[in-house]
Amino acid sequence: MAQISDLRKVVGELKQKESEEITKELLAQGLDPLKVLEDGIVKGLGDVGARFEAKKAIIPDLVKGGIVAKTCIPHVEAALPKGGGDSKGKKILIGTMLSQHNIGKNLVSTFLSINGFEVIDMGSENEPWDFYEKAEEVGVDMIAVSVMFIPAKQKFAELVSMLKEMGVREKYKVIVGGAITTEKWTESVGADGWGAQAKDGVDLAKQLLGVS
Amino acid sequence: MGKLFWEIVDRTMTGPIMKEDEFENEFFPTKIAEIVAKHKIEFDPAEPIMCDPDLADEIFQAGLELLLEVGLYCKDTKRIVKFTEEEIKEVISTRKNEVTFGKDRDAVTLKPRAPGDKQHPYTFFPAGIVTRDVNKYKLHALTVAQEPTCDGLIPLPLAGIGEIRPASGTPTETLIALTEAHLMNEVTSWVGRPGLFRGIPMSATTPVALMSVFASGLYNKHNCCMSTQILQDLRINYDRLNLAHFAQQNGIVPWQSSCAVMHAYLTGPEQAAVELIAHTLGMMAFADGSFTQAMSMTVDGYYFGSEIWWCNSAAALAAERNLKVPWISFGGQGQQVGPLTDESWYAIAAACITACISGMEGMWLCGGPTGLEARWGGEITRAAAGVKVSDGIAIIKKIAKKCNAPKHEPVPLTELYDLKTMQPNDKYLNHYKKFTKIFKDMGLDYPAWD
Repeated sequence: MAQISDLRKVVGELKQKESEEITKELLAQGLDPLKVLEDGIVKGLGDVGARFEAKKAIIPDLVKGGIVAKTCIPHVEAALPKGGGDSKGKKILIGTMLSQHNIGKNLVSTFLSINGFEVIDMGSENEPWDFYEKAEEVGVDMIAVSVMFIPAKQKFAELVSMLKEMGVREKYKVIVGGAITTEKWTESVGADGWGAQAKDGVDLAKQLLGVS
Repeated sequence: MGKLFWEIVDRTMTGPIMKEDEFENEFFPTKIAEIVAKHKIEFDPAEPIMCDPDLADEIFQAGLELLLEVGLYCKDTKRIVKFTEEEIKEVISTRKNEVTFGKDRDAVTLKPRAPGDKQHPYTFFPAGIVTRDVNKYKLHALTVAQEPTCDGLIPLPLAGIGEIRPASGTPTETLIALTEAHLMNEVTSWVGRPGLFRGIPMSATTPVALMSVFASGLYNKHNCCMSTQILQDLRINYDRLNLAHFAQQNGIVPWQSSCAVMHAYLTGPEQAAVELIAHTLGMMAFADGSFTQAMSMTVDGYYFGSEIWWCNSAAALAAERNLKVPWISFGGQGQQVGPLTDESWYAIAAACITACISGMEGMWLCGGPTGLEARWGGEITRAAAGVKVSDGIAIIKKIAKKCNAPKHEPVPLTELYDLKTMQPNDKYLNHYKKFTKIFKDMGLDYPAWD
């Protein structure tokens, strides 16, 4: 019988088919989908990230990890109670700034959905104006941005400035996360919150939007 | 431009289509891994310098195969430019094998040299410092340009002019690049070497700014090269081709350059060395350059250490044996360490000795952004020029562990130089003298060290 540790192992080894099969098996066993996600898929991805830090993996491995996770996560989502958690009645716009790298963004999106937030996912390679325009169009409560490389940091700062210039800064809480971001930098550009891990997005959203 | 230039332009519009993420995440990593494994190219962490001629030949052959199997990926059209073996072999057989930088009595001509040749690699020093303070930039450049071993300058990018910050593709970028050129001209005149080579316009990255700075005449075909470097992992775009075309039309030497980044899309120094060869051949196909700059770094920003030296020496030796075009590599220590640290001076020495014993013809950004660091780079290169390969390796092994250091804060020039006389102060000179003695004790020598 498969264990969650098995899922973590195969995700870490970037075995797409095995990861999907074990995910399905664990869910069929009746395990908590959130536990499957956090202790199996997310920790497996963390292992790939640790190998990258140790120079034992390269960027294509990180991308492959994202593909493996994308294969497994729909099964987790399907196993969640319909409508995810209790609806929080809050809309969150999420996307990556400039970058194609969307593993972290996708995980945050999933965690937010699971926790009852309505997520409007703008996908990858967005510019500041895209976030502003979509936020105004949809009428969201929060903008969550993934920043993965240096030019995107500058663009994120532009987004915060742009919201101010357009007179809508107070309408939206703005949070950011991603490999090269820090709490100090987030404060320096005037955003509302920073998350080090994908799971932090949920805590930030609850805290900043005043929901439990 | 290269013999295949117009074929390449055509193939960017007719070659096979591939999504870029497929190219970078699957196609390229798979092909380079297969080729490196096929040629049994392996890095030995105990040997910081790759001096095995047979392995060098394998690396060259692997680089050639990599270019033929992967081609050049055009980011603008998502198409792959493929080559035949005959085409690349013709590029190799019709190559130029020397290049002259600078003008009149300040000119230097780089010709192929073998590992251990007494002819030293030429040393091109970093001029200026990354700042928006134009005066500070100029003072740094002056300390470097006045050094007798300065064979040319490589301007560091100006980060702005006072309150003016550069925005890529806007007139601010052009203004800052023109200011850089003005400053370089002023500095070379001040030191009485107006014909000195000025490298490439480092404050410009877009074609508009690069072409503008040459159109102004401040940089010209006698004193500066045009940036035509390939993009990471065998990629090109129309900017590269337009710049190569502009260089050809104006008689400007194309600056063929590549930097292999380890542990990003490349696993380590074996793949990085092979990529440098493939990059060089690819650039020769579209730019027809008469030299190349080839260096490596790690994804976390280090420019020194066993992996780096192994990669740089392996690629240089592979080219020296099979290509014989002037080969320049990085002769500095990056920004991890400061001018007064032992680590910095050991790292500069390691890079320069590597160049000497690997058959390189030049070092760019040699030393550091102060004159005394540059002097150290220039002198240690000349001191190590005739050294036997085995002796050079022995020195590098001795000093390898002394290069690593945590990142240091920049030291103001006023703490290193008397700005009235433009001479280094006693504290800084003593640091220099300490190192001349250390390396003299290791068997190297240079007339000024007495």
